[in-house]
Amino acid sequence: MPTVEVDPDELRELTGHGDRSDEDLREDLFALGIEYEGETDDGAFELEFAPDRLDRLSVEGIARSLRYQYGDDRGVYMPAVNDPEWTIHVDGDVPADRPYVTGAVVRGLDLDEDSLESLIQLQEKLHATMGRERVKGAIGIHDLTMLKGAAATTEEPTEAELDDARVETAASGGKSIRYTGIGKVDDRFVPLDSDKEMTPVEVLNQTETGRKYAPFVSAYDRMPAIYDDVGLFSFPPVINGKRTEVSADSRDLFIEMTGTDQWTIDHMLTIVCYALDARGGRVEEVEVTYADDAVGEDASATLVRPDLTTRTKTAAHADIESMLGIDLDGEEVVDLAERAGLNATRADADGTSVASADTGDDGLAYEVEIPPYRVDVLHPVDVVDDIGRAFGFNDLGPRYPDVSTVGGRHERSRLERATRETLVGLGFQDLLNFHLIGRTENFNRLNVDPGTDVLGGGEPAAIKEPYSEAFEVVRTWALPSLLRVLENNTHRSYPQDLSEVGFVAERDDDVETKVAERRSVAAVLARNDASYEDAKARLRAVCRTFDADLETPPTDHPSFIDGRTAEVVIDGESAGVIGELHPEVLVEHDLELPVAALEFDLDALR
Amino acid sequence: MKLPETQVAVLEAASADDPRTVESTADETGEPEPSVTGAAFSLEEEGLLAVEETTETDIYLTSEGESYAFEGLPEHTLWATALSLDADERPVDLGRVLAMTTLDDDATDIALANFARKGMGEIDDGGVSVDPDYDLDADPEKRHLDALDEADDGADPADFDADVVERLQGRSLVEEAERTVRRVTLTEAGVTALMEGVEVAETVDQVTPGLVTSGEWAEVEYADYNVEADAEAVYGGRQHPLRGMAERVKDVLVGMGFQEMQGPHVDADFYINDCLFMPQDHPARTHWDRFALEAPAKIDTEDLPADLVEAVERAHREGVGPDGEGYHSPWDEEFARALALRGHTTSLSVRHLAGLADADLEPPERYFSIEKGYRNDTLDATHLLEFFQIEGWVMADDLSVRDLMGTFTEFYEQFGITDIEFKPHYNPYTEPSFELFGRHPETGELIEIGNSGIFRPEMLNPLGVEADVMAWGLALERLYMLVTGAEDIRDVHGTLADLEFLRTEEVTY
Repeated sequence: MPTVEVDPDELRELTGHGDRSDEDLREDLFALGIEYEGETDDGAFELEFAPDRLDRLSVEGIARSLRYQYGDDRGVYMPAVNDPEWTIHVDGDVPADRPYVTGAVVRGLDLDEDSLESLIQLQEKLHATMGRERVKGAIGIHDLTMLKGAAATTEEPTEAELDDARVETAASGGKSIRYTGIGKVDDRFVPLDSDKEMTPVEVLNQTETGRKYAPFVSAYDRMPAIYDDVGLFSFPPVINGKRTEVSADSRDLFIEMTGTDQWTIDHMLTIVCYALDARGGRVEEVEVTYADDAVGEDASATLVRPDLTTRTKTAAHADIESMLGIDLDGEEVVDLAERAGLNATRADADGTSVASADTGDDGLAYEVEIPPYRVDVLHPVDVVDDIGRAFGFNDLGPRYPDVSTVGGRHERSRLERATRETLVGLGFQDLLNFHLIGRTENFNRLNVDPGTDVLGGGEPAAIKEPYSEAFEVVRTWALPSLLRVLENNTHRSYPQDLSEVGFVAERDDDVETKVAERRSVAAVLARNDASYEDAKARLRAVCRTFDADLETPPTDHPSFIDGRTAEVVIDGESAGVIGELHPEVLVEHDLELPVAALEFDLDALR
Repeated sequence: MKLPETQVAVLEAASADDPRTVESTADETGEPEPSVTGAAFSLEEEGLLAVEETTETDIYLTSEGESYAFEGLPEHTLWATALSLDADERPVDLGRVLAMTTLDDDATDIALANFARKGMGEIDDGGVSVDPDYDLDADPEKRHLDALDEADDGADPADFDADVVERLQGRSLVEEAERTVRRVTLTEAGVTALMEGVEVAETVDQVTPGLVTSGEWAEVEYADYNVEADAEAVYGGRQHPLRGMAERVKDVLVGMGFQEMQGPHVDADFYINDCLFMPQDHPARTHWDRFALEAPAKIDTEDLPADLVEAVERAHREGVGPDGEGYHSPWDEEFARALALRGHTTSLSVRHLAGLADADLEPPERYFSIEKGYRNDTLDATHLLEFFQIEGWVMADDLSVRDLMGTFTEFYEQFGITDIEFKPHYNPYTEPSFELFGRHPETGELIEIGNSGIFRPEMLNPLGVEADVMAWGLALERLYMLVTGAEDIRDVHGTLADLEFLRTEEVTY
């Protein structure tokens, strides 16, 4: 879950509630579903929350939510936006793996170290969440005064210009920058935190940030690159150039985002614009023009960004009442929606007809307007949730549902229980072991080879990236687990009679999931005079309890002593093995006394 | 007459006119006191002895009294130290005197109070002067302490000066204790029996089948066992404590009308994630905490129901309903076919809701499972790679958040967890979603006890479910730790289990 660091003083300032104590704020935040995890050394709150409300990844966004909660703000807020002066041209050389770009200009900021830090944090947190570690979307923020825009042109660049990405396009009217793709050594720039000009490949090999993102950027056909009139200034998604670095003195910012999905980067941009608007910045649109031969769905399109338009969902009154389990009147719903930062209009008020399927029996419904930063709203049910939060879920009284059903246990679960009870009655300590085990543990230490036709010799389901050597595969049988317990308890008093009715599995291509999953009954008798007969006496008792016929024809198994090993045949079906464990296996497990053991398939007792 | 050996000895030691204490009888017969007492009562039942009980009070030194008997009374220490500083000639600063002693604050207060009371000298304006003629050995309190110290087992108060004893009791140096003294006297029948002759009866150790069947049992006496001695430790078979917890939770849920689900531990990501409306680029799906399988790696295309795959893909891409929006994330059937150990048992709920496990379900239904989920977490006191997830859901027409709250309030109350609070939360597959918090049964703390919500239309619609479904989950291990106070989960689950714990852990029910 995302965590953000938020200075409580900034929260008080941005909400205009200087009187809220730290304690008050923590309670207010908890009510929003934001959990206080602790404090940093300089007194900032460390806050954790679920990754739905990504607009709360900044102190500005959290402050906005608090203002709605306090009732200071109501309804949808839309920042004022100025018309575009800047254009981002996207040409046909753009990497096919990263075809999309978006951008915005924000002017008139009065940043200080704290608000700059907050902006950098928002950028990092958006990278980690919506940006999927920059793969899906990456943010570059630049000092606008350091950018030299070529005058924008409505004409397409010439072929020659497109061939050489370093040639700037001519312009008339506004200013422009260009998103393109270049070869790994085609150009050089000074990246952030460096004094040296580097090519993209040098950035990937020689800088810390470069090495971090090299794994997926190296696979791109071309290196993403952004140019202004001066030259290359950004190498997304890896690093910006030093020339346009933002400081607390920067007043005007240029924000660009590149990625694999236009919707995603547009919404990341929206969240950043809302945060900077809350800091007193003035958002200015940017035009994004995709060349006809640009890669992706946007070829030939001209987009104006940020896209601060609201979306609308239709929520039926009956659905709201049914979900919350209370009666509400229309006024209340509209009020609750506004307290949640939404606008709701009764769809029947001005005679607007609404598809009857959406409106429930009484036909009443609401057109609910969703602000653009709410990337989490996918369905009217999300609007209902917002209305419930504004009402206060804990103010709804619990009520036991008036629904009658008949309970019962799964047949296998009853069989497992009956078997365990029988074994416990025979004096066995019931065990509950892990299903994951090391290969050595499961096979080698019991002299069993995988892929052999003996109990435990199945091919195991294997984990791709195991936690450790002790947990590489799903166990194919249960006796290795029991022997581990014996091995770990040699300092405890004997006899140690242990049993487990548990899960085992092996590969089987005939099964839907390619793994045959079974329940196995396993038992060991570790005592000074343990013998085959002791084990068989107990196996007989188990079979008798389940009215099952038991036969024990001689067999051999690599874990047991030849001549003291039998096949467990229950009701005529081969089900497992019983015998005295081979001293080699005993010594391997540091045991100094004989162990008689048995294991068979639980289904044999059905 | 035949009597057991001890009874014969006690009877012979007793007198008809001189009551003898049990203590002296024990000395005389060489039998232990408890045996003599037992024999005396048996003989009383037979009418051969009379047993008379009296209560007597002894006085003892308290531990403080004992230490003063050894070290000297604090006021004596003060007097002697001051004298060594020539306080008989001129007052000596009290602080200087005390600095030379080991008296702590309490003992100093005691010393000063008694020093003045006994007239051992004077303390004036922080200066101590002593009466050099005071005789420490003549102090009756000291003499009594010494005398009582010699009488280890307590002393008869009659031997001491009552006033001094009272004063020492006031100083908590002496305490009283009562004890019962039994005296035995031969009755007439006892005298007669002795005159007629009493023999020692034959005693047996072990009751044997031969003894029972031959009738010989009527002739013998049974040797007394030391019934207070420890017997050998026997460990019978026991259910595993965590298994016991699982059984208890199953009982509760079955009682609340829930049916049990079971199903594959190794399953396709399709059932574990895609059917739960988890976007394919969700960090949890690529994150290392997932146990993807290397072999077998993928389920076959023909083993996934084609219409379900299509419906799930559409929900991911376009959402559900006229106003629905999908995710702006890639969706690939091959990615969904990857096999993994399930990270949660909601995959079972999916299979049941989709009608793949049992027949198609019609509301109302209640289902639960207590089965393992697998997570590649860091092993520590509260995390294992495998955990039992309690998963439950209710399907009915028109379920509300209040029904969800009512169900969980009822469930947790069965385990003593009350004051349930619902913290609004986010899960990709439920809306509304709540983290559940409750009051710890022992410590009273507010603790997280589960995650819950109402399944989203984007999850239910592709599964063909039209009713509402509310669901919740929590780890059985967590509930176990809450209810039993266990602190390290590694003790409770897995091959590191200490047999001592399994053998001796208090059973819960």
